[in-house]
Formats: sequence, C-alpha cells, structure tokens
Amino acid sequence: MDRRRFLHNLLSGATALAVAPALLRGQDALAGDPARFAAGLRERPWLAGWKSVQSETLGPENVRIEGRLPAGFGGTLYRNGPAWTERAGFRYEHWFDGDGMVHGWRFNGDGTLTHRARMVATPKFTREQEAGRFLYPVAGTSVPDMQPIRNNDDANAANTSVTMINGRLFALCEAGSAFELDPDQLATLGPVTWRHDLAAIPFSAHPLVDRDGSVWNFGSISMMGGNGLVVWHIGRDGTLASADVLETPVPGYLHSFAMTDRHLVFVLIPFRYLDGAGAFFERLRFRQDQPLRIAVVDKHAPAQARWFEADFAAIYHFGDAYERDGRIVLRAVQHLDVEEARSPLKAAMNGDGDVHGGNGPLRELVLDLRRGDARWEETGIAGIEFPVFDARTRSAGPARLYAPVHASASVAPYFNGVGAFDVPRDRRQVHDYGRDVLVEEHLFVPRPSSTRPDDGWLVGTLLDAARGRSGIAVLDAGRVEAGPVAQAWLPYTVPLGFHGHFAAA
Amino acid sequence: MHRSLCRPLCLVALLIATIAPAQAADLTVTLRGVRAQTGLIKLAVVDSQAGWDGQAPPVQGDGAPPRGDTSIFVFKDLEPGTYAVMVTHDENGNGKLDSNMIGMPTEGYGFSNNPRVMRKPTWDEARFDIGAQDAAIDIALH
Repeated sequence: MDRRRFLHNLLSGATALAVAPALLRGQDALAGDPARFAAGLRERPWLAGWKSVQSETLGPENVRIEGRLPAGFGGTLYRNGPAWTERAGFRYEHWFDGDGMVHGWRFNGDGTLTHRARMVATPKFTREQEAGRFLYPVAGTSVPDMQPIRNNDDANAANTSVTMINGRLFALCEAGSAFELDPDQLATLGPVTWRHDLAAIPFSAHPLVDRDGSVWNFGSISMMGGNGLVVWHIGRDGTLASADVLETPVPGYLHSFAMTDRHLVFVLIPFRYLDGAGAFFERLRFRQDQPLRIAVVDKHAPAQARWFEADFAAIYHFGDAYERDGRIVLRAVQHLDVEEARSPLKAAMNGDGDVHGGNGPLRELVLDLRRGDARWEETGIAGIEFPVFDARTRSAGPARLYAPVHASASVAPYFNGVGAFDVPRDRRQVHDYGRDVLVEEHLFVPRPSSTRPDDGWLVGTLLDAARGRSGIAVLDAGRVEAGPVAQAWLPYTVPLGFHGHFAAA
Repeated sequence: MHRSLCRPLCLVALLIATIAPAQAADLTVTLRGVRAQTGLIKLAVVDSQAGWDGQAPPVQGDGAPPRGDTSIFVFKDLEPGTYAVMVTHDENGNGKLDSNMIGMPTEGYGFSNNPRVMRKPTWDEARFDIGAQDAAIDIALH
C-alpha cells in the first residue's frame, strides 16, 4: 500500500500522479435524455421505477394496512436507492448514479403505516441542489463541466443500502463513507469516521452481522491509490473493533461478500480499465478470460487470505455461505451477460423497454479447503436477484433463500414474484404478484419469540405500474405461495431501490 | 505654450512606461468554498518550479482563521513575473493537511488556476503571470 501518496505529492510537488482516476474522472457528455425518458414513461408506466424524484422529501403519508399483520410483527423497513437522476436537462444513464433517497416504511401498530422518504444530504447532493445541476463524478455516466473534488466522499451518492448498528441508521454506498441518518426523520447527520485515519475509506453496502452482533464489511481501495480491501469489523456497540488492509494480487471488482462462522470470503471479479476519460463503469471491462480470485479470510486474521481461483462469473450478490466437511459453499447470483452486468437495466434508465439480462442462474461456488481448489455447481434456479436468508441459520448447512423472481409473464422486464428456495430438496414456493407489479428485495424478519431458523416473515416493497402506486407486503416466510398476509399502498410511486434493513419495534 | 507643457508630461509618461515593469504589484487572492469555520487557512506564493516542488522557499506566505465561506488575502509588492499559489486549510488546527490511510486529503485545499485534476497540479497548470498592474485571482477550495 502506498500510504500518504496524495499528501506527499501535494506537498512535494511530484507531478501527474492520478490518485483516483476510477471514481473521479470523466469528460464527454454521453448522458440520457430526460425528454426521451418522459416519452418512454408515457408509453410504459412501469418506467416509474426509474423516474427521478424532484423533491428532497416524500410524505409523511399515512395509509391503512390491508389484511392482518401477524402478531409480533412490528417496526420500520428502511430502504435506499438511487432516486435523483435528472437535473438541468441532463439525465444519468446508469442505474447506480442517482443520489440516494432513504425510505422509512413504519408499521404503526394500529392498522396503519407511515411512509416517509428523504434524500441523503451528502456533500454531492447538497451542492448540486444549490447549483441546480450535476457537478460531480458518478459511477456510470460522464457529467459535463465536472468540478474538482476533495476526495471520494465528495462524489459519494450514498444510494445503495441502509443498515442499523446499535440503534444508529446508516446509508451505505461502496464509493465511500457511511452516512449516519436520524432514524425517525431520516435527516442526515453526516459521514461516519470510524477512526481518524479511516476518514472517507469506503464502507460498502453489504455488511454482514455476525453471531455476536458485530458487523463485518469491506471497502475497496484499489481504485483510490491503495491496494486491496479494507476489512472492517464494527462491534455491536457501533464502535470500531478493527480495520485491516487485505492486499489483493490483481485488481478485482466486488460489490458484496459472504461469510461463515469462521471465514470471510471475498470474490474478486477480474477486469481491465480502459485508458482515457470516462466514469468507472464506462471504462471497466470484465475479463471473462481470467479466473475469479477468491480470498478466504480467517476472522481472527483479516489481513491474510488463502487464495482460490474459479471460472469467471459476474456477480453482484451472494446468498448464504456454509462450511462443512472441509468445504465452503457460497450461493451467488450470476449475471450471464457481462455488458448487462456493467450497466444493469440501462435501457430502462434511457426510457426504453428493450431490457436485457436478469435471468442469470443461482450457482454454488464450492471451495475445497483441503485440496485448495474451487468449482462451480448448478442449482437449477434462475431468474432471481437480491437473495436473502435467515441469519439464524446454522452455518454448517445451506440456508433457505428468499428472493424476487420472474414468476410469470410480466409487463415490465423485472421481477414480479417472490420465491422461497430450498436448494438441496429442489423445492420452491413462489407468490406471483401479477403482471403489472415490480417486486423488490424482500427481507427476512425473524419471529421475535422464536429461535427456529426460517420462523418469521418476509417484508418487501412493490411498484404497481398499472395503478401508479408503490406498496409494501408482509408474507409468512413458511407460506410464501399464499401471498401477503398484509399489504399497504401509497397514493404515489417511488423509484425502485436496492436494499433495505428492517428495524423491529 | 502647448509644446512646452507637453514636453515634461510626455517625458514623465515615457519614464513611467519604461520603469513600470520593474515596479511591484499587489496580488489579491479570493478563496471560495471554505467549508469549515475552524483551524487555519494557509497560502504559499511561489515563483518557480523549485518553489512549487518545495525545493525553494515561497516568496510570500500568509495564513488566517476562516471567516465565512470566502476569505481574501493580499500579497504586496510582487515583482513582475510568473507565480503560483497553493492553499491548504488545516481545519482541525493540528499543523498539517490531514489525509487518510491511503493518502486521500480529508481537509480543504486549492491551487491557482483551479486545475481540474485529482492530484497536485503541475507548475505549468497552476502558474500565472503578474505584470505591473495589481492582480486578483479566485481559488475554489475543495
């Protein structure tokens, strides 16, 4: 790792060392066209999922809950996603670019639900809101007349997920710091510095909670002048337990990771980075001719890894991982079309209906710890994303997975059902929300009185394109095919988001 | 009458034109985008590649606590020539520009000409000329 390279340079005057070319560059305007998107939206109401918000807050909106909430179910579903995608006649063309809006869907306990949402007041959003135009670099679109940034946090869209640690709510994005939010009003308190020298070091969007309530996460520093990953361990009290640098042999992209009771597993997807100007995903090219590099890290020594190689696969999300008989097995959703993986739902961002991808398989990556090799195995499941599982599942065996799924013919090229998958028994239960409904991540909520894995509910959000409304559904996790036991709809739509966190009351 | 008056005036004008390049000028630096109202803003004015590289002392320097999101500094009596200005904002007052473990600055900085690069600009990118007249530049801190 090249410590203090930027600072050294700043003061000593060595020239022409680009510190963060990946996240921080881009010149040519290649953006989408708001008018074209608006025309597409008139033709295809499901594109409301990619429509830009134009106000800093939504709600609070109180609505009646249809059906009957299960006894013991209560709390708030927090969700995050790219929401502000247009300014001054310019539209981002990559789904990951929009500034984050965090939603709170609060079950009030009296048969009503309150929805409120607020833009995360990042430095980027705040200054662009004042300027009335986009000013700073984003993940996948070149913005004209970009302004210089202090560091990566000036370009942090805080738009991917939320988590809660010891009652503190954080908006997450792999580009930089977590931003702490007020859990009630969703107002932004500011970026989190876990330790002074770790300011602005990325804290990615998929932290995993260990059995003791502590939280593991990573941040990739390879495109910022460092080499490898920072491995974060945050205590259940929300203070830093450790931060180690795991050096990596090659540049590799990763969006999330998996873990067992003993190990963290980081799967690096090989890529090359084109010369010249352009945003990160404009210049990134996945290398299908290169193997995945897989780091198996003992939780007691996060700076060291045992490295494995496996056949290439483009992956954003993992399900569970388990460890048995000297093998670690990870479940991963593969994106078969690497161009689609580079810019998922790009056509929808542009107002087109001609969307590709989304039918990738769920596969198992088997790491043999004795032999030191890795191989892929098929599950027979395809067309899912955003898989979750009950974290109470023992990590000596496979968990039941829950995920949005292509259930039947749908109006939108998006998930319209939710499924529960028991991979070893080849069993699945699917609820089909219907042809007009776009289905987002459904989180598993454990029944408070129970310790039995999979005893609980699913809670997830929906967009009903035909009726122009967004909503939320609660299902019994053991009877997914029976559909929602309770459901609530807003009198408006909100953009589709990515990930959430359920905070039980 | 006309002619006799003109003569000394013309001479003075000529004299001024001749010696002006050797006269000193003031440089007013307006800093915009000061984010934190704590610590110390520090400016260095250098007049050479060596000065830019930290191998020669700055020709002038100044510093002051921030007062609002804009600060103005005036450097007096600069000889005509080529200069560059670098600014750092030691926001927590610990005597240095803080950076994180990979060297990313976490406090404010800026350079003359406001080059749009994510690194220290080169001398050529930051330098500008000062002649006989007083000069004023804007630097955006980021």
